[in-house]
Amino acid sequence: MSVNTPVDPAQFDIEAIDLSDRDFWAEPPAVRHAVFDKLRAERPFAFFDEPTMEGMEPGPGYWAVTRLADLDAISAQPAVFCSGQGAVSIQDIPADLSEFYGSMISMDDPRHARIRRIVAKTFTPRMLEQVVDSVVGIVDDVLAEARAKAEAGDGSLDVVADIAAPIPLRIICDMMGVPEQDRELVLNASNTILSGGDPELTDEADPLTALIEAGMNMAALMERLAAERIENPTDDLTTALVNSEVDGEKLTHQEIASFFILLLVAGNETTRTAIAQGLLALSENPEQRARWMADPSMDKAAVEEVVRYVSPVTWMRRTATQDGELNGHSFKEGDKFLLFYAAANRDPESFENPHALDLGRSPNNHVGFGGHGPHFCLGAHLARRELAVTFRRLFEVCPDLEITGEPARLRSSFVNGLKRLPARLTGQR
Amino acid sequence: MSRVQVDRERCVGSGVCESIVPEVFEIDDDGVLQVLRQEPPADDLDGVRDAVQSCPARALVLAE
Ligand code: HEM
Ligand code: SF4
Repeated sequence: MSVNTPVDPAQFDIEAIDLSDRDFWAEPPAVRHAVFDKLRAERPFAFFDEPTMEGMEPGPGYWAVTRLADLDAISAQPAVFCSGQGAVSIQDIPADLSEFYGSMISMDDPRHARIRRIVAKTFTPRMLEQVVDSVVGIVDDVLAEARAKAEAGDGSLDVVADIAAPIPLRIICDMMGVPEQDRELVLNASNTILSGGDPELTDEADPLTALIEAGMNMAALMERLAAERIENPTDDLTTALVNSEVDGEKLTHQEIASFFILLLVAGNETTRTAIAQGLLALSENPEQRARWMADPSMDKAAVEEVVRYVSPVTWMRRTATQDGELNGHSFKEGDKFLLFYAAANRDPESFENPHALDLGRSPNNHVGFGGHGPHFCLGAHLARRELAVTFRRLFEVCPDLEITGEPARLRSSFVNGLKRLPARLTGQR
Repeated sequence: MSRVQVDRERCVGSGVCESIVPEVFEIDDDGVLQVLRQEPPADDLDGVRDAVQSCPARALVLAE
């Protein structure tokens, strides 16, 4: 059976579904989406016990939100559904981690608004115009290196390691001015942080210790860089951040370090996933690939559709700050909600033929970058630009790229990532 | 005349509006949204409506 053969949602017993079961996240995408379909249709607020994590007391459980309208309503009411108790983990953030990982994604107003305003000015479309040239250059370098490597051997390459991973990493490191010799550290640390305990990605037996160490390494690197830029300003993002002020307030060094960690983890694995899973989806839908390749005016719509279809970030968490009711569902203060973007992005109420990849899809009000609300992806413009350039240059420079084998999927509930995707350059252009 | 209003409490300075109609919206060097034309010309109104729809923080209103 191909992994994309539709799976009938009716075959699942709703009582047996468990989104906290790690094995569920190893299932092929078609199974995952059939289960989402079942929940969305029959139990749009489904309650699950929390996954067990070594060394931690399990918390009270969570509601899984799978309808787009509910997800969007929750995102739009940050005072009722807060991020401060943790947005990227089901467990509340342990105190020893919050020092490094207590970044704005897990903050509420007024702290969130203050930091978001300060950093938002470095991420506007206007500012990004200035990095576009570097995006094109980096993508071309990476593709040239991938081709050289493939042609030196038997033509084979790994889409993840050779194309999808280096592009966002180099772009962010470039923007921030991370020196060449520190980039390996950045890649390893961001892998650890986002592995979600996948043993293949962390050597560490104890994921919590590994997380703390990765955070410490990144923080140390960023503190050093920030100090250097105060001495010797350049035109990178680090310099802009150490100098940037809103209402006379600057970011503290701790806040800058946390923000860098957030950028690296939020900007790397997500974009990498969109590229790798996007290429896989194109190879599974050759008529869509041909259509996009032939028509550069489709870039914008196609990138949105890739993000919708892939949904690189599977969920974010919110926590209720009060008792209340939402679209007929009552909840209590302290209740946790997981907003399943991956499910909402296939909601038939919002998307016609939701399981089809339709690169010209319009309208396409997906929530891949988050619902309406203050935490909407800060890097959305950058990601869109990176993806548009990457796919377009791939079509031009590597039209002979061919996926040759099964992808190795990350067994993570949080990121819809691939570990490896075997491919080759056939040499036929 | 149609007027653009920004809810300052909500706006997160994402610049989505600027990416749609740079003639009307601009994030200034302090990261704060400036509305360049409170009463946008007819040509820009479609774009402004688009921006109102797209603003991730639902911070924009077009009073028509
Ligand atoms: C295709 C690629 C990407 C996807 C799918 C994605 C998705 C998301 C999602 C779902 C959120 C949470 C929204 C919410 O909680 O309401 C988010 C937040 C965020 N993203 Fe992205 N992202 C991507 C690329 C990037 C890039 C390239 C960067 C930066 C370089 C970035 C930086 C951030 C930051 C800083 C936040 C937190 C914003 C806040 O809390 O105010 N992302 N992203
Ligand atoms: S799109 Fe909305 S949140 Fe973003 S700058 Fe414009 S008004 Fe502010």
